[in-house]
Amino acid sequence: MSTNTDLTKGQKDADRLAKIDFKMISFTLAGKDYGIDILKVKEIRKAGNFTKVPNTPVFVRGVDNLRGDIIPIIDLRTMFNLPAETKDKESQENIVILRLESLVLGIVVDTIEKVVGFSFGSIQPPHPIFGDINIKYISGVVENAGRLYIILDVDRIFGEPEEPAETHSENVPGQPEASAAVAVEAPQGAEVPLDLQFVAETLQAFGQFHLSPLNRGWVSARLEDWKKSRKERGLDFQLTQKDEAEEFLLKFASPGSGRLWSAEDVASLSELLSFSSPSLTVWNPGCGRGYESYSLAMLFQTRFSGKAYKIWASDNDLLSISTAPSLILDDDEVELPWREFTVQTKNGLQFNSDIKARIVFEFHDLNHLNPLSEVHLVVVRDVISFLRTPDQEKLLTEISEKVRPGGYLVLGTNERLEHPEWKSIGQGTWSVYQKI
Amino acid sequence: MRVEYINPFVEAAYNVLTEVLATDVKRGNLFLKSATKPVMGVAAIVGLAGEVEGRVLFDMNKQTATKIASVMNMEELTEIDDLVKATISELANMITAQAVTKLHELGFKFDLTPPALITGDNMEISDQEVEALIVPMDTPHGSIEINVAVRERS
Repeated sequence: MSTNTDLTKGQKDADRLAKIDFKMISFTLAGKDYGIDILKVKEIRKAGNFTKVPNTPVFVRGVDNLRGDIIPIIDLRTMFNLPAETKDKESQENIVILRLESLVLGIVVDTIEKVVGFSFGSIQPPHPIFGDINIKYISGVVENAGRLYIILDVDRIFGEPEEPAETHSENVPGQPEASAAVAVEAPQGAEVPLDLQFVAETLQAFGQFHLSPLNRGWVSARLEDWKKSRKERGLDFQLTQKDEAEEFLLKFASPGSGRLWSAEDVASLSELLSFSSPSLTVWNPGCGRGYESYSLAMLFQTRFSGKAYKIWASDNDLLSISTAPSLILDDDEVELPWREFTVQTKNGLQFNSDIKARIVFEFHDLNHLNPLSEVHLVVVRDVISFLRTPDQEKLLTEISEKVRPGGYLVLGTNERLEHPEWKSIGQGTWSVYQKI
Repeated sequence: MRVEYINPFVEAAYNVLTEVLATDVKRGNLFLKSATKPVMGVAAIVGLAGEVEGRVLFDMNKQTATKIASVMNMEELTEIDDLVKATISELANMITAQAVTKLHELGFKFDLTPPALITGDNMEISDQEVEALIVPMDTPHGSIEINVAVRERS
């Protein structure tokens, strides 16, 4: 019996050896065997100490100098959410250099094994149970010398620029090496306490408020207060209705929203800012009815009067934004120092044409592209927290791209940003960040 | 999409359609769109150039186009022939021209290109770079979508 199977096996091996028409480089990721078509591989090498590039996805380890060519280095383990042992900066990593149609790049893997050759016909279609990698990135599975190799489709993985980012959301959250991006997309993961998770879900449903690292500090603190005050009233802390969610969020709003800023507020904010460029671009997304944008215009008019500045204000609420260009003010809304910027019209007080000419109000959805390229100041208070969590991340990346070093980002009073590119310089009600 | 641009287009579309069709026209809710959008079958495009650049697209299905052309020409038309094409182009021209006139009065200076008419099935229009404002107009002959994508020249 055994001789018989050995014979057939030997026969099969002989058949396969007879027509080796597919070769691949085999390597391991988290203890599993993988392969990449050898025709896609330029070379293999050891390298380390890559030059980190700011503002790239976590799986990009940096760039490396390959005999004069600068190539990106991507950590396949991070990209696919597999555990990777952290090595110190100086140590050498195993790199497979790939040559794809449009680019040359290096991927970091655990160990590189050998070149395996076999018949192309013996590759079997992928099956979902074969690995931790999304099935659409696998071109097939092959058995060779008693080992099962998963052949990766590198063209699919690296071919389209959008694809790698998507792998995060498609992977199962809670992997041991959950990267920063994954943590943002799945804030309700295991590490969020259960009651916070419940509250976050109801806030999302009733208040369109999305828990994220930006507002988590405030929500946690508010939850403690909320529990206390609800207990005093003999109520459960759970939010069950829309008005409860609104009450919970009431204190989230930054002071001074929905009206013109006071002279003290303007003074304290302008002390935090300084600009060297003679012409400034200010971006004010989510401006609502325009109070914030006009307040900013008055800040620039009083404190930076020598600068040519333009404020790009936008909102996706058509009703609010339509009234913004000709905002009517009540007499008691306008503090004395601001009177000089207004004119009396038959409908009431309005800002003068000088101020109006400085602001462009746009009907715009923040999830869409916008043409601004270089911005010196972004004022986006209590807006980002109301976007979907992945969109929040996207917008913050966009802001980081658009703002030049030295530029500023003003968030809502209760919003905090933890980012290596941004330094917190805020105080009091102002949550201000400067780009490094 | 600058707020000041919205109303002239909405008003012009409403005025011109009400006048040429001599019937009630209802305006649907405005919305923004930036991704690829399918075109219903007959699309007239008018380009804008100057201080403001972009394009206005008038999108409707073939049936609506023939019916509107029939009313405007006061004769029964049944298929998309040259007369229908010329009529729809003219309609696009009238609406855009009236909007631009209103915008000129507000101080925005720019010119129009002659309208281009595109017909066919399964068409899509993509302008990745610009966000488009969609103004849906409901007429008894079918609905027309006016798709305005303009931006300040930066």
